[in-house]
Amino acid sequence: MKSVGLIFFPAFDWCITPDHPEREERLLYTRDQIEEEGLLDLPEFREYRPRLATDHELSRAHVFVPNIRAHLTESHRIAAGGAIAAADLVLRGTEKRACALVRPPGHHSMRFVHGARGFCLVNNEAVMVEHIRQQLGPQAKIAIVDTDVHHGDGTQDIYYNDPNVLHISLHQDGRTLYPGTGFMNERGGPGAFGLTVNVPLPPGTGDGGLLYVIENLVLPILKEWQPDIVVNGAGQDNHFTDPLANMEVTAQGYARLTELLQPDIVVLEGGYSVEGALPYVNLGILLALAGLDYSQVVEPDLERVKPRQAQRVTDHIAWLVDELGQMWAGRKGVDLEAHFGKGKFFERKRMVYYDTAGITETQNGKIRLCSSCAGWELVESRSDRYAYATVAVMLPWNACPGCRGEAEAAYQEQISEKKAKKVVFCDPERDKVLGCTN
Amino acid sequence: MASTKAVLDELKAACPLKGPVNLQLSTTLTTNTIVEGRGTATAAVVIPGPGVDLRLHGLDFPLFPLPGYVDHRGRVVAECEPKEAAAAAREAQRGGAEALAIVGKFSQRNPSLEQAVLDAVHNGKLKFSHISVGHKAAPRLGFPRRVVTAHLNSQVAKAQRKFADAVESLGEGLGSVRILKADGGTMTLAQSRSLPIESILSGPAASTMAALALTSHQGKSMVVVDIGGTTTDLAVIVQGQPLYAREGAVIGGYPTAVPAILSRSIGLGGDSEIHIIDSEEGGTRFRIGPSRAGSPVCLGGTRPTPTDAVVALGRVSLGDRSRAVGALKELGARAGLSWEAAAERVVNAFVSQLCAAIHKLYGELEGQPVYTLAEFLETPHLRPEVITCLGTPAPAFMRPVGEALQLPLEILPHSASANAIGAAAARPTIGLTLYADTALRSLSIPEMGIFQEIERPALFDQRKARDRALGKLREYAREVGLGEPQDMDIVSEESFNIVRGFYTVGRIFHMHAQIRPSAQRITGEEGVR
Repeated sequence: MKSVGLIFFPAFDWCITPDHPEREERLLYTRDQIEEEGLLDLPEFREYRPRLATDHELSRAHVFVPNIRAHLTESHRIAAGGAIAAADLVLRGTEKRACALVRPPGHHSMRFVHGARGFCLVNNEAVMVEHIRQQLGPQAKIAIVDTDVHHGDGTQDIYYNDPNVLHISLHQDGRTLYPGTGFMNERGGPGAFGLTVNVPLPPGTGDGGLLYVIENLVLPILKEWQPDIVVNGAGQDNHFTDPLANMEVTAQGYARLTELLQPDIVVLEGGYSVEGALPYVNLGILLALAGLDYSQVVEPDLERVKPRQAQRVTDHIAWLVDELGQMWAGRKGVDLEAHFGKGKFFERKRMVYYDTAGITETQNGKIRLCSSCAGWELVESRSDRYAYATVAVMLPWNACPGCRGEAEAAYQEQISEKKAKKVVFCDPERDKVLGCTN
Repeated sequence: MASTKAVLDELKAACPLKGPVNLQLSTTLTTNTIVEGRGTATAAVVIPGPGVDLRLHGLDFPLFPLPGYVDHRGRVVAECEPKEAAAAAREAQRGGAEALAIVGKFSQRNPSLEQAVLDAVHNGKLKFSHISVGHKAAPRLGFPRRVVTAHLNSQVAKAQRKFADAVESLGEGLGSVRILKADGGTMTLAQSRSLPIESILSGPAASTMAALALTSHQGKSMVVVDIGGTTTDLAVIVQGQPLYAREGAVIGGYPTAVPAILSRSIGLGGDSEIHIIDSEEGGTRFRIGPSRAGSPVCLGGTRPTPTDAVVALGRVSLGDRSRAVGALKELGARAGLSWEAAAERVVNAFVSQLCAAIHKLYGELEGQPVYTLAEFLETPHLRPEVITCLGTPAPAFMRPVGEALQLPLEILPHSASANAIGAAAARPTIGLTLYADTALRSLSIPEMGIFQEIERPALFDQRKARDRALGKLREYAREVGLGEPQDMDIVSEESFNIVRGFYTVGRIFHMHAQIRPSAQRITGEEGVR
């Protein structure tokens, strides 16, 4: 029997705004369906309470500007704490698998947080993954398979240069949907090249296409990479009834995906067809996680809508999987100098727009090109909300002594230069986050 | 029944009262009928619709599934064919079923499919000794529990009917008759005919109500410990209110939707078996229960029990103490201990197992999931301020438990008649669920069979919903013969905006209104007869 621990926190008294998709009602019908089905009376399931994520736990994954308290509500802490509680159930062996149905979602939240993006403020999965690594140690390998219809750009940002976290995002093509990123050529930083895998699916992808990607791309990659823990960021907005996207996936498709993927931990992401999809998709996912029969989970609209996948979509997905498969296979042979230059650092500038909060952020970043570790990183961030800069100096997990020394010196230099209002130093291996406000 | 009559006569003789005697009965009739499998042969006609396969719930009685589909907001997605319904009922009858349960998924939001099946059974002139419908038997969410509850209700209906007839035939001298329910409240005899299932597990409920009636710590939070021969039952009272089982009572291994006082039974009692365990450090220790050894040796039994330990130590005087000492000497010899040491260690083992069970229960209760920030951040403080205990061997074991948990201990008087006191002290309870959906203009109160349209949905707000729920509860109480109720409360409520396409199109209100269970205070010797 596959025991499943469920952390369910629908936050029936929290919303972004009363008529926002991320509102009180979102998990109401899911709750009704789960209770009416008597799911928790089945011996496979047990329900647990979430907990509040602490400031320290949140700061392992994020740099909040100006500070945590400016942004966070208790609901965010419980959503992240729910994911942590789910992970603990699996890590302690209390349950075989765990599922955190919590809101709000998190996968659009990047390392720097100036406000909410895509309804997300705290990256629940990243906070959870950092918690897991603190438990399992620096060598732990974690795979995140993000099956939300939107590109998991926040998670990608946090793990772009992390060789022990594999991030695979399946999403509707960024040319047709928020956040407009997640293309095949976004493959990871110099220290983790190839370990960011983006699968931009064409609009109109149905069960067939989604499952084809899982079976022919995701599962082979996981088999080769051998992660210790597989996390599924389970957005439910690929559903044919979702109001914000254009896909054709059904509850059966989601359940089969879960059955194939066999994730250790499932964390709910988006999904805004609160009545037509969520009750059924969540039910299907939970049954599949427990290894139970889900064949009778059918949406009321299925008969009327008859979702289907066009042939050209099928053909495009076959090409996509073939292409990405080759890119994965060839990832170690890629000439990194051609990608990241020959200098001491790989530097990049970029702009990040916070759609939910209406903020524009500009970042100047550099990653140390190091042959012994993933390389330390420095990011200077400003937004149009505050005139000053915030700088984060970040060590990678398993940092080499050289990078450690350089990063510490860079941190001291930033403090003494007083150019930035706030300087943060992140040292995951020693589980330390230092902050200095000038 | 003869015994009830005899008690009634005795009461009338003993009481200086002229008027009729009011009876409050706590019976094991329905509980035993279910546990011993003596109920009427019953089949369930179910309308599961899509979702979890009902077979996963491992129900071991005949199920006759019909097509038909009601969704989570009570909309009929697919109808139920009367012909098929009649055929299913006929097949059930041919299979030997004398009673029937008709249960649909989400029938508490819309009972029309259950009603269609019921009509088809009536139109087909099929006779059953009792038919239970899901939305009345179990209006809460939880289809499998609804199936079980309606099914068990039909199983025990005939036995309860006979019992009710017999009670009524007592005739002269009989005032009102109330039956104790699992939730610690009472119902009328007439109610017990249609919903007999509510009278299951009234024994544990009675002991909790007795604690409430007798305690001198009114309004406090306490753990109620009832030490019996085979088991010890734990119940939890929070600020004077008994805590309920979250989903409903479990009986004979069947999870039901019957509202019940939370009661945890542990296999630890005065007559429990004592096991000698070789601990890893080389010494020996004792483990008590969970099985029963039989009567204590001091009362003529053959194997030592925890009762023998406290009798041998001279803390309880019961039966033949020298036999208890003899039994402990023999036990001590096997464990390499003097009889005194053995007796002390048995008591210590008993105490530490009981403390562990109490800690575990509170741990579970505090870990129970909640769905709102308000509840998460302000979880009521459950921890007891007092330990209240019932049961004959209680004091000898409970004093050390009180010390270990650092809580004051209250030993209630009249332990032997606690069940009767609890039953006598109980007051009527009744509750209902209101679910209103202003977008669909639907309002339902399944307990009363109310499924109606909301006339002016735009004006239907939370206050109106509350007023309606409480007004209907008053009406319901009168309807079932409970008179003018007091202490009516909205015990839980939720409300949601229904937003479609960025516009609020309506609201959902979901609330439970209830007369809370309470106990009449019984104080002093005069109060108890």
